[in-house]
Amino acid sequence: MSRRPFFRRPKSCPFSGDNAPKIDYKNVKLLQRFTSERGKIVPSRITAVSAKKQRELATAIKRARNLALMPFLIN
Amino acid sequence: MPLYESVYIARPDISATQVETLTADMTKILEENGGKVVKDEYWGLKSLAYRIKKNRKGHYSLLNIDCPPAALSEMERNMRIHEDVLRYMSIRVDEHDEEPSVMMQSKSNRDDRDRDRGRGRDDDRPKRDSGDTPAVSASASASDTPASDTKETEE
Repeated sequence: MSRRPFFRRPKSCPFSGDNAPKIDYKNVKLLQRFTSERGKIVPSRITAVSAKKQRELATAIKRARNLALMPFLIN
Repeated sequence: MPLYESVYIARPDISATQVETLTADMTKILEENGGKVVKDEYWGLKSLAYRIKKNRKGHYSLLNIDCPPAALSEMERNMRIHEDVLRYMSIRVDEHDEEPSVMMQSKSNRDDRDRDRGRGRDDDRPKRDSGDTPAVSASASASDTPASDTKETEE
């Protein structure tokens, strides 16, 4: 592989596009991909979620936390 | 009338039929106040992510509601009073989805879960950071036998 060391290919938002998943607080399996091992919400600069979708995602994760579908923190 | 989605968690000690009657009670309250329940789902006894009132599990139920705001607040008042309800959450939505929610789908095809998880990991990897994968393969080839090393250079 002859790739430049600091090459970054353009990332696209996983929630925009034609068959993008809908952000829903009930879809725990989807939301879990955007939280860290400790249960924190992963920043959008790492996950490449667009700003608008990140706000939506944060709301969904917080709703899921309130319903004990997702943890607030993992020790 | 505005549309709402309401989820509540019932105490794990009660039976599934008792949860059904609880849902029926709440439906009756809504109907008395001029609303209607479009869809109700029982997600089953699920384990909670953290303890609520010393409980580790709870019966989850979802109600899709079309009712005036007063009826919803009346139902929420009743849920607050009811001892069997550990927690509830009602949110306003723009539209209800007709098909069963993700929770019901995952319950019906539990056998597919392992396959699903594998696939999820696969499309997770390349997205995270592309710089990770070459490093892993390099370390793997260093520890491996020379045979596998030559194979990699061929590729």
